[in-house]
Amino acid sequence: MSFWEYLASNYLEVIGYTFEHAVLVLQGLALAVLVGVPLAVLTYRTGLGRAAAVNSASLIMTIPSYALFGLLIPLLGLGTAPAIVALTLYGLLPVVRNAIVGLREVDPAVTESARGVGMDRRRLLLSIELPLAWPVVLAGVRVSAQLLLGIAAISAAVNGPGLGNLILSGLSSAGTPFAVYLALEGILGIIVLAVVFDAAIALLTRLTTTRGARA
Amino acid sequence: MAVVSEQGAAPAAGGTPGPGTKGPRARWATHLVRPAIVVVALVVLYLYVSSRQLDSIERRSLNAAYILSRTWQHVQLTAIVSVIILLVAVPLGVLLTRDGVSRFSGPVLTLANISQAIPSIGLIVLFAVAFLSLPVYAIAVLAFVIHGVLPIVRNTIAGIGQVDRSVIEAARGMGMTKLGVLVSVELPLAVPVILAGVRTTLTITTGTVALATFIGAGGLGDIISNGLASNRNIVLVTGSVLVAALALLIDWLAAIAEDNLAPRGV
Repeated sequence: MSFWEYLASNYLEVIGYTFEHAVLVLQGLALAVLVGVPLAVLTYRTGLGRAAAVNSASLIMTIPSYALFGLLIPLLGLGTAPAIVALTLYGLLPVVRNAIVGLREVDPAVTESARGVGMDRRRLLLSIELPLAWPVVLAGVRVSAQLLLGIAAISAAVNGPGLGNLILSGLSSAGTPFAVYLALEGILGIIVLAVVFDAAIALLTRLTTTRGARA
Repeated sequence: MAVVSEQGAAPAAGGTPGPGTKGPRARWATHLVRPAIVVVALVVLYLYVSSRQLDSIERRSLNAAYILSRTWQHVQLTAIVSVIILLVAVPLGVLLTRDGVSRFSGPVLTLANISQAIPSIGLIVLFAVAFLSLPVYAIAVLAFVIHGVLPIVRNTIAGIGQVDRSVIEAARGMGMTKLGVLVSVELPLAVPVILAGVRTTLTITTGTVALATFIGAGGLGDIISNGLASNRNIVLVTGSVLVAALALLIDWLAAIAEDNLAPRGV
């Protein structure tokens, strides 16, 4: 039986796991943005704040994924919950760092003018600074997405969802002719998702970048 | 810091608010935070584990001999994989920046970006089930090396690429040979970026080696797997803290090396 014949026999299973994998990573990315952007907004003005935010996020990044999952299980149990929390934590660094950079790159002349026409701090942030920083934030999300798609494969080891389950069933059927096919299906599914996510975020960047900030 | 610094830097070049932009004192303060966290975590872990009455399953994983053997395996495997990655990737990266060969660097960089999405657990499992006759250690080394090579190739290309063209022109104008320019101008100027790559390699490899347990190749990942399989949180947490502590320590040592080995003047 060739790989394609095997894929034809279990493609529904592959699609199911691919969907789970995509949803898991989307949840992690969304939470990383929801936590990371406010964190950047709160810290980007002072050197100490920036260093604290970026250093904590990079400290998390240094912790190997299998260990972080292991640390979360006693708190959250097995399954989807520790996977989402771990992915959110790993997704933070690129988002926080890029959000800080994006906010700092806003031309002071622009913020001065906005102040001059009477915008308060909140309006300035919401209608000037964040829209101008948004493409840079999304560039961070793009990096996070590639990272999280790979890490999400480990969640299967803690009974979580996603394509890691195909890889691990490949491992447990080692010695049978299908072991390689199962592992390949898992890996190829993740690569396909990586390409799709990359294109989708590129499109999202085009659609959501304010017209004045487009290059 | 190390893991995505070179990937995330695309829009951030120059303005990255990283530790590198601070003075030496602030940098030393940063250098002291990680070992402090590691020491505190290990002491708390030790006190917690030794205060508990361990059952026989827990004792099988939580004894000094077992932990030391797994730590040693982990360090060995990390060292072997990292050294091979650097021996392959840095020369390959240098080669890909030479005239005549540099046209291949584009496709290699594209490949590097795609391969980044391949999960290390997928690669090690694929190799394990595809090459059943190979010893598990060989499979682990092969999978982790292949997984880690391309990012460092990319890093080296980027490091040499950011060397100012005019400096190279000046060196050529002084009558230096191409090899001379590479050895005494381009490589020294690229050292900071290459060292950042070394640090990335070490940190990532420490983490991926924790997955060697899936194919029975040992390392500290064994303790995490034992904890999961036997449903013993104390074993699970011990394994996780030890893996995290080792990764933080190795990253810390590499960060100190990064700060102190860069040639003066850069």
